[in-house]
Amino acid sequence: MIRDIYAYRCRKCGRLHYPFRMVCKECRQNDFFDFDLVPLPKTGKLLTFTKVYNLPAEFEVPTLGLGIVELENGLRITGQLEVDDPRIGMAVRGEVKPVRKSAYDTFYGMVFRAG
Amino acid sequence: MRDVYVGGIGITTFTRLEYPLSEIAAYPAMMALKDAGIRDVDHLYVANMGSARVNHQTALASAVVDSLSLTPAGAAVIENGPASGASALKAGFAAVASGLHDVVLVSGAERMREVNNLEATDFVATLTHPLAEYIYGVTLPSHAAMFTRLYMEKYGLTERHLAMVAVKNQNNAMLNEFAHLHQPITIEGILDSPEAMTNNPYVAEPLRFFDACPVSDGGAAVILVSDDVAKTIDRPLIRLAGVGQATDTHAVHEREEPTDLLAVRRAAAQSFEMAGLRPEDVDVAELHDAFTILEIVESEEVGFFPKGEGHVALEKGETAIDGSLPINPSGGLKGKGHPVGATGVAQAHEIVTQLRGEAGDRQVDGPQVGFTCNFGGFGNNVVCLTFVREGR
Ligand SMILES: [Zn+2]
Repeated sequence: MIRDIYAYRCRKCGRLHYPFRMVCKECRQNDFFDFDLVPLPKTGKLLTFTKVYNLPAEFEVPTLGLGIVELENGLRITGQLEVDDPRIGMAVRGEVKPVRKSAYDTFYGMVFRAG
Repeated sequence: MRDVYVGGIGITTFTRLEYPLSEIAAYPAMMALKDAGIRDVDHLYVANMGSARVNHQTALASAVVDSLSLTPAGAAVIENGPASGASALKAGFAAVASGLHDVVLVSGAERMREVNNLEATDFVATLTHPLAEYIYGVTLPSHAAMFTRLYMEKYGLTERHLAMVAVKNQNNAMLNEFAHLHQPITIEGILDSPEAMTNNPYVAEPLRFFDACPVSDGGAAVILVSDDVAKTIDRPLIRLAGVGQATDTHAVHEREEPTDLLAVRRAAAQSFEMAGLRPEDVDVAELHDAFTILEIVESEEVGFFPKGEGHVALEKGETAIDGSLPINPSGGLKGKGHPVGATGVAQAHEIVTQLRGEAGDRQVDGPQVGFTCNFGGFGNNVVCLTFVREGR
C-alpha cells in the first residue's frame, strides 16, 4: 500500500504549506479549513542532515539519520534518512513508513533513501 | 511607559540539586529580596518549562508565592519553552512599565536532573512540531546539528570554531562559583589529541559532546521595580531599557533561508530600538549557547558582527572576557548550565552583576550597557533584553 503525506493548498491564493496551518502564511484570508489536500512529492534533494547518537528510549537503534529534504515542488520536509554516505544536494526518494512507536501508537512518516 | 529598574537579584548554583522545585524557585527569590532590602512584592512570575512533565507538579507559582509568605500577592507561571525566563521578565517589565505594579519578582527555576539525560532531551524535544518533527526523533541537538552543517557549508565555519566557543565558555565558568561545569578543557583535549574522539564523541554529527550544554537544575531571580521604588533601594541603578521578542515558524524546515535566525534578528532590533541604543553600544552580552554554534550565529544576528563573520571575531579573541565585546563571561549555558526555565533570568542576573561591577574574577572592564538573548524552541521564540547602568 502506498501511503502519502499531504501538503495543504490555500483555496484563496494557492500557496502550498507543509505542515498544516490554520491560516495561510501568504494571504491570511482563510475561513475555517480553507485548504485542499495535495500529496507531497516523494523525490527531492537533501538540504541538510545529521546522524544522531543519543535517542529517546523508544528508538531501539544505536543511531538515527535525520534530514531536511527540498522536494521537487519546492516544499521542504523533515524526515528520517537511510543513506550510508549522505551529501548535501544528493537526490533522495522517500517512502511513508512507521517512524516512531509508542506503547499505544505507531506514527508514520517519510523515510528517505538515495535515489 | 514608566522606566523599569532592577531592584535585586539572586541565583542558586547550577548543578544537580536535591531540593523540591518550589524551593529551587524560592531560594533565589529570597536572595533577590535580601539584595534589594525589601519584603513586599505586588506580583510574582515563575518561569518554568517542565514542572508538570518532569516534576509532577503544576501551578508552581501558587506554591512559591505562599512558600515565600508573599500572599496575597498575584502569582503566575510563564511557560515559554527555553525562553520562559526572559518572557517572564518581559511580563514583569510590562506590569511595572504600565503602572499596574510597582514591584514584580521574577524567578526562573527548573529541576531536570530528576530524570535521566535521555528523558530530559526528550522532554525538551516536545517543543518541536509534533507531527512534522517530533515523531521522527528530532531533538534540539539534531536541529542544531542540521543547522550547523548548513552553516559550515555556507560560511566556512569548522569544528575548531565550535570547540573554541566550548573552551572559552567553560574557562569562563571556572571563574563563576555558581556554574555547573568547573572543568577546564583545551582544543587539544577535545579535538586534536588521539583521545579526542573518546573524550568528545559525536552527539549529532557534526556536533560533539562538548558542543552541547549540560542538563542542569537551578534557579535565578530578578526583581523589577518602578522609578519611585528604585530610589529607595541602595544598590547600583540598572535600568531594563529595552525588551524585544519575535517568533518564527514552528517547523524549522519552513524557514525561507535555512541559515537565518530571523526571530533573533528581530527581537534584538526591537530591544535596541526601545533602549535607543545600537549593537555597537553593548559592552557585555549573554547569548543563548545551548549549542556552541548558537553563540556564533546569535552574535551575528543581534548585530554585533556581520552575517557569517561571528567565527572570525571569536578567532580574534574579541568575545573573550578581555576582548572588545565579551560574550558569556558567566560561562554561558555551555559552562554555567541550562536549567531551561531559569536561563533567561540567569542571563539577566549575570548582566546586572557585570553592570554593577560585582563579577569578581570574571568582571568585564567597566561595562555600561549589557544585552541578553534568550532563544526558545529552535529559534521560533526569542526574547532579547538591553540593560543600562545609570549614574550612582
Ligand atoms: Zn493564501
